[in-house]
Amino acid sequence: MKIPQQPLNQKILKYLITVLIVLGSIWSASGLEITPDRFLSAPGKIWILVSAMFPLDLSQEAIDRIVPKVAESLFIAWAGTVIGAVFSFPISFLAANNTSINTISRLTKQILNIIRAFPELILAFVLLPVTGLGPLTGTLAVGIHSIGTLGKLSSEVIEGIDDGPLESIKSSGGSKLNELFFGVVPQVMPTITSYWLYRFEINLRASAVLGVVGAGGVGAELINQLRFRDFPRAGTVLVVTILMVLIVDAISAAIRRRIIKGREITV
Amino acid sequence: MIEFKNISVIYPGGVKALNNVSLNIEKGDFVIIVGMSGAGKSTLLRTINNLVKPTEGEVIVDSRNVTKASKKELKIIRSDIGMIFQTFNLVNRSSVLKNVLTGRLSQVSTLRSIFGLWPKEDKDIAFESLNKVEILEKAYVRGSNLSGGQQQRVGIARALAQKPKVMLADEPVASLDPITSRVVMKYLKQINQELGITTIVNLHFLDLAKEFGERLIGLKDGELVYDGKVNDVSDQDFENIYGRAIKSSDLLGEDD
Amino acid sequence: MIKVPKKPLPSLLTVVGFPFAIALSVFSFFQVGFNLEDFKKNLANRRLVTDTLFNPKWEWAFENAAQALVETIQIAILASILGCFIALPLSFYASKATNQTTATYLIYKSFLNFIRTIPDLFWAMLFTVAVGLGPFAGVLALIMFSMAIMGKLLSETIDSIDLGPLEAAKASGAKHNQAVFTSALPQILPNFTAYFLYIFELCIRASVILGLVGAGGVGRIIETQRIFLRFDRISPIIVLILIAVIAIEQFSVWLRRKIL
Repeated sequence: MKIPQQPLNQKILKYLITVLIVLGSIWSASGLEITPDRFLSAPGKIWILVSAMFPLDLSQEAIDRIVPKVAESLFIAWAGTVIGAVFSFPISFLAANNTSINTISRLTKQILNIIRAFPELILAFVLLPVTGLGPLTGTLAVGIHSIGTLGKLSSEVIEGIDDGPLESIKSSGGSKLNELFFGVVPQVMPTITSYWLYRFEINLRASAVLGVVGAGGVGAELINQLRFRDFPRAGTVLVVTILMVLIVDAISAAIRRRIIKGREITV
Repeated sequence: MIEFKNISVIYPGGVKALNNVSLNIEKGDFVIIVGMSGAGKSTLLRTINNLVKPTEGEVIVDSRNVTKASKKELKIIRSDIGMIFQTFNLVNRSSVLKNVLTGRLSQVSTLRSIFGLWPKEDKDIAFESLNKVEILEKAYVRGSNLSGGQQQRVGIARALAQKPKVMLADEPVASLDPITSRVVMKYLKQINQELGITTIVNLHFLDLAKEFGERLIGLKDGELVYDGKVNDVSDQDFENIYGRAIKSSDLLGEDD
Repeated sequence: MIKVPKKPLPSLLTVVGFPFAIALSVFSFFQVGFNLEDFKKNLANRRLVTDTLFNPKWEWAFENAAQALVETIQIAILASILGCFIALPLSFYASKATNQTTATYLIYKSFLNFIRTIPDLFWAMLFTVAVGLGPFAGVLALIMFSMAIMGKLLSETIDSIDLGPLEAAKASGAKHNQAVFTSALPQILPNFTAYFLYIFELCIRASVILGLVGAGGVGRIIETQRIFLRFDRISPIIVLILIAVIAIEQFSVWLRRKIL
């Protein structure tokens, strides 16, 4: 009886990948001079840091400094997401290969890829000399990066639509514009809107960090407190940030679920 | 009303879907086209509103040359031709009313339609069309919340809203059960008789064709092989069209 | 006269949501200080940036930044591998489908959610204080980053797997863990691979910035050069990272085609 073997290519591929992963880890770890014992001692050191943060600094002064900054992160994230949504929407139609001409579609996709590749912080860097220190730079950095990611995601949604309704509009004498607004848009809006909200959740984390380069948000606070070893206050910054993120995430997730599900109107 | 002049359609890749088909359909006719899958039924139907462009020949609808029409003329011609599809082609997330209103798009300015500012006249036409297929009460229900039969009735309402002269139905009941299929066919027949709309229906099921048809057209391998009254059709004629003996899968049957 | 049905009232979401969203947007734009005057003044500075940005100094970059770039990539490799493989078992515990015990399920799920709320750079700041400056802090930070993303993606995937094979295995006598290992794990391996490659790419991009807070990699160099507005030195570094990221993207597309 001949027992069937796993095809040779698959076996080789699996071994190759495993070897790659192991070698990659070893090469990286040795290059960075990281040994296993450092991993073992890390949790203890983290615990020391965390316990130094409690009790949290909840003084009026701390609250007065921290809460506005956290709110600023929220505004940066929201405004940036709005910029991203508003501009990425028309661009995504240019990028999708079923609503646009082949050459324009490929070009737009490439441009979006390039924009996407830059982390928000790097964008903030480049913008700083031009737009100055402060939350505006952060907003623009977040906004531009969002145009890139939302543009790509939205174009993929557009490319995945059912073109049956489009045919029916065409057959009744509708124009291409009619097809777009009555065939494409109703199909893609729920998913695209939920992507906008999800982007907001992610942008919130990015904007919190932007303060590190002076582009607004709470990041500068945190790094200052850590540098001055004011751990209780640093702890407060962390806790307030975490709370804000948790609340926004929960609300946004609930809205997103509702958007996707849609309204039940039955008669 | 509809003239097919030596229509041939060759798809890219070399498939010859239609071969020199010539045919005349009078105003007010109720025509059923039967044939095997791939015989060219869908293609023939789509040459009427130029969704498929014939490689040779012309189609004349209501004295207008559809095949040679400009983009602008084509839109006008299409607005007089209503079409319903096997997969219903409703916009799932939109309400029934919004779907039916898309039948009025060719008559309403783009700007008004985008913002939902439909003139009262058009809304009334939409409501009347829904009433004709007895589904008015579901006007604000979402398309995807309806059963298959109901969705097809919305499709018919949408076509009716165009106030068309011609109604094309491409396998309208292929995905419906026997009872619902007969309901849909009944509506199509009713509309043809009451409003005088020239109706052409592609069908798969022979017993339905016999039940509702008046004039029968048979296609085989892209060629016209039968054209006559449905009552004159013998089982032998059917076998010619299908190239084999009738099977039970060619019949819709009664209850499931 | 036909009986036309009444138009339903707009949903709560639209009535409250839309005005709120618009108000928030307007308010936010004011808050972040969108001031046309200042904007125009600062726009004049743009030549400072564009003149240098499009003038990359490749030799300088290869001489001074090569080592740091390698360090950046190494951080990304180590962190993504460790983070993702740790997240693998965690995800099974954080999914209702494979973890029947509600108590532990909640603990693991909350843990993963909690990790997600802290931005990667915050982790880096914390770790530089805890274990000292340098790439180790960066690796730890990105491990948390990778765990968070893989945990969410993978546990959601596990939530929607086909439970059939799992039940069949248990019906034939396998213990719960055995069943998961043999019947659930293979189902999600393709997804795991896809997510891993995606996270690896994200880690490379994130790793570039770690140096800003002293957690290793090329970020340190970028920061120093930025202060002196030497974008001509920064742009080659960015381009090299871009190339690395695109290369990985192509590789992952190729690999996914081979596996699936």
